[in-house]
Amino acid sequence: MTRAYGSRRAVDGVDLALHPGELTFLVGPSGAGKTTVLKLINREIRPTSGEVWVAGIAAHRLKASRIAELRRRVGVVFQDYKLLPRLTALENVAFALQVGDLRVSDEEARDRSLDALEAVGLGDRGGSYPHQLSGGQQQRVAIARAVVAQPPLLIADEPTGNLDQETAWEIMDLFEDIAAWGTCVLVATHNVEILTRLQRRVVTLVQGRLVRDQPAGRTGRMAWLASS
Amino acid sequence: MSGRFPRPRLVRIVATNLIRYIFQGAVRNWLRNLGGTTPALGSMSLLLLVSGLIGLGGYALYNLDQIEASQASVLHVYIRDGATGADIIALWNRLAADPRVAGITYTTKSEALVRAQSIPGLPQLADSSESNPFPASLDVQVKTIDGVAAINAIALQDGAVDPVYPTSYDKGAYQRIQSILYGVAVAGFAFLGLLGFVAVTVTVNSITAAIHARREEIAIMQLVGASRWMVRAPFVIEGAITGALAGIGAGLVTFGLAAAGLDAASGAFMQFAPGVTLAVAALAGAIVVLAGLVLGSGSSMISVRRHLEA
Repeated sequence: MTRAYGSRRAVDGVDLALHPGELTFLVGPSGAGKTTVLKLINREIRPTSGEVWVAGIAAHRLKASRIAELRRRVGVVFQDYKLLPRLTALENVAFALQVGDLRVSDEEARDRSLDALEAVGLGDRGGSYPHQLSGGQQQRVAIARAVVAQPPLLIADEPTGNLDQETAWEIMDLFEDIAAWGTCVLVATHNVEILTRLQRRVVTLVQGRLVRDQPAGRTGRMAWLASS
Repeated sequence: MSGRFPRPRLVRIVATNLIRYIFQGAVRNWLRNLGGTTPALGSMSLLLLVSGLIGLGGYALYNLDQIEASQASVLHVYIRDGATGADIIALWNRLAADPRVAGITYTTKSEALVRAQSIPGLPQLADSSESNPFPASLDVQVKTIDGVAAINAIALQDGAVDPVYPTSYDKGAYQRIQSILYGVAVAGFAFLGLLGFVAVTVTVNSITAAIHARREEIAIMQLVGASRWMVRAPFVIEGAITGALAGIGAGLVTFGLAAAGLDAASGAFMQFAPGVTLAVAALAGAIVVLAGLVLGSGSSMISVRRHLEA
């Protein structure tokens, strides 16, 4: 896939396949095209050329009226959490579940949302509003929201960018758990320590091009590219 | 094609979710965002109130015009003194056969005298003459003021008509009345159009500003999988609530002012604003509420559209 802004190619001929149960890191210096790749996957933008397939859906030619169908198959986690400030943690999670499927009853939504919050260690904070939670807790709520509908793909854009190292590890542990249950997880990050320690697949972008695709267990040699 | 009709429980769950998400959610969000909505609510209330009052004023002016036009479209055809009953009946029949004529009444010389004595200045004229100087007449009610000239032309050809003062037709006066009616109509429509434009512009801008402040919320809703209509519907309901409240306030004041005017000085009010009754005032209030509802929900629909993903 290629995405150009005028004469500049933010993503240039990237060919990437992600698999169920795989935790993949997307790394590269600032402006390498990491966020653009995630936006292409989530159909926030269209590729200038090429194709993007997500769980059988052709995201590259999806009409605006059908984007919601794709979004229900892709959980998204952002650096700035993007929680609805006027909803509690439980309501934020349940909202994502019920806007995607109106057949989910209140009881079911509540139970599943509580399960998701408990899975991220916030079972007792469901009634808290985002401003009452720490950054790490807000990111956990965002992860619970992203996985509550059990999407086949989870993408995260610098999810630890606003967190301290200890909290960042906790968040990464969650991503590992999520991948272990069969979800395909793609995380864009700058955090070299995480890459070297987790030894997962690392896809490296430089100036919009995919320059390296290291399988799990062989990270380290190119990890410097993530730091800039 | 196979398949089963959804079970009642499922239908109930979907309906409950829709009502809660769209209506209850909209009410809750409206209350939470009252601070951002207040400018839109205020400007809408004011504009709807002005529109309601101008609408009522326009209706009264229209009635006034109709009364004037109705009076102006009565053509008095004066009968010469020597005309026989058969001549008068023949003239009556000729005029009545014309489709532009709504009705004819006959005024005898003595009835004309009685009528003249009620008009300031004319009793002295009547008293100074030994005989009755006022002619009998056929008073022809023409359907529209445009048809008076043609009916006058028909009457002038008849031998039963007084050759000296044949009719009450005054070409200049009719043209002036027609010009005034046309001018009032054009000015009224232009003013209402301008007011409507201002009302729509101010409302759309106010609601757009309120929705723009919540663009992050709209973006998040879309990112977690809300479809376009699910994003749009609560905002449209919120706009409808704002519009309805502004409309109810403005409608009540419009009705209240008209009712107070009728109550305080019914006779004078009817002279000043003919046709404006309690029922008309209530209808004007209802129209203002409806206008608020349409304006609020329509503005929201347009404003949210800008924030939806393309």
